[in-house]
Amino acid sequence: MRKFSLKDVITLTLIALFFGVIYWILGPIYTTLTAALTPFGLAPAANDILEGVWVMAGPLAGLLFRVPGSATLVETLASIVEMFIGGQFGAAAVIAGLVQGAGAELGYLVTGYKVWNWLSLSLSVIFVTVVTFIREMIFYGYSKYSLGLLVMLFIIRLVSTFIFSGVINMMIVKMLQRSHVVSN
Amino acid sequence: MNPGLKLLLVMAIALEISFTQSLIVNVILICVSFIYILFNRVTFKALIGLIFWPLFPALGLFVSQWLYGSAGIHFAWILFTRIYAYVFLGATFTLTSSITDLALTLEQDFRLPSKFAYGVLAAFNLMPKINEEVQIIKTSALMRGEALHFWSPKLYFKAILSSIQWSQNLAEAMTSHGFVEDQGRTHYRVIKITAMDWVWFIGLFGIVQVLLFFIRY
Repeated sequence: MRKFSLKDVITLTLIALFFGVIYWILGPIYTTLTAALTPFGLAPAANDILEGVWVMAGPLAGLLFRVPGSATLVETLASIVEMFIGGQFGAAAVIAGLVQGAGAELGYLVTGYKVWNWLSLSLSVIFVTVVTFIREMIFYGYSKYSLGLLVMLFIIRLVSTFIFSGVINMMIVKMLQRSHVVSN
Repeated sequence: MNPGLKLLLVMAIALEISFTQSLIVNVILICVSFIYILFNRVTFKALIGLIFWPLFPALGLFVSQWLYGSAGIHFAWILFTRIYAYVFLGATFTLTSSITDLALTLEQDFRLPSKFAYGVLAAFNLMPKINEEVQIIKTSALMRGEALHFWSPKLYFKAILSSIQWSQNLAEAMTSHGFVEDQGRTHYRVIKITAMDWVWFIGLFGIVQVLLFFIRY
């Protein structure tokens, strides 16, 4: 099993920073969406709609680097960066980053760090959805909602994570493979 | 206070208030953090930002919990103050610590391998260039009549290409300046965890435990 080299650490941090900047573009969209949904009491849905974008880096890094810990490391770094830039969630961002990184990692862990295709990516997507949803139950009081609302929020989150962290991530990996930057 | 211990303390408290439900403790934490920030010469603009931006998610969660939650308005207020407690706790760390000090103490006092500490630091200092690069990627796509959005795989693809290329250069530059992976290092700037740091850490953490134990509202 490969270990992290200095170059890996730098690449992972740079990817975390790039994603951080791209998430920055997302900030106003999140704020607008939250503000628009607040009168209906559905503001948490804004979080779930965009969740898939925020967790992209983890499953992607796992698939690209194929080193145990990549997904966790990239998400943790991204959240520390986010906290320093002054994200909306402050200290919770780092805990959130650790949690979603570990969630993304699980997909590759349960396949023994041996399967590197759509299967492990899909598992990573499912784990990250479930784990982050549990986090929201505790941190943001989702556990007090009715079952109907919970199911709706979960489905929104799953679809969002599947599209961004699954489909779009796979497209990115395919592009990198076609240009021979990473192996198949 | 040592930045590593400070981050640990802030995260431990944030984690704890996520699992406990005390409105008053949340408010106390916000006030104490707020005063601490004021004493650390924060700019007015940064302060307004800290108060204004979290208002959206905090209000959103509040209304939602109020309308659909089973735990009533008191719990809605807990969530509202919880968001601000997270933000202000985080600010006590970020506004008073630099990422350089954090990396140095993590390496020297928390046994983080030096390649992680210096690798992350080297990359982090490229932050301004990263902003620029995202603009370049978007602009050059526009020249070909293609608009890249946050859902365009090509935007991420090109960002990753740049990351790989830059990291190669940076790693080589570090090696040519004498950085050797997994080798012992001496330090020009030594950061230690002092007895006073421990007193603050244990003292403050202890106070939060006492508050959470006695104040249940």
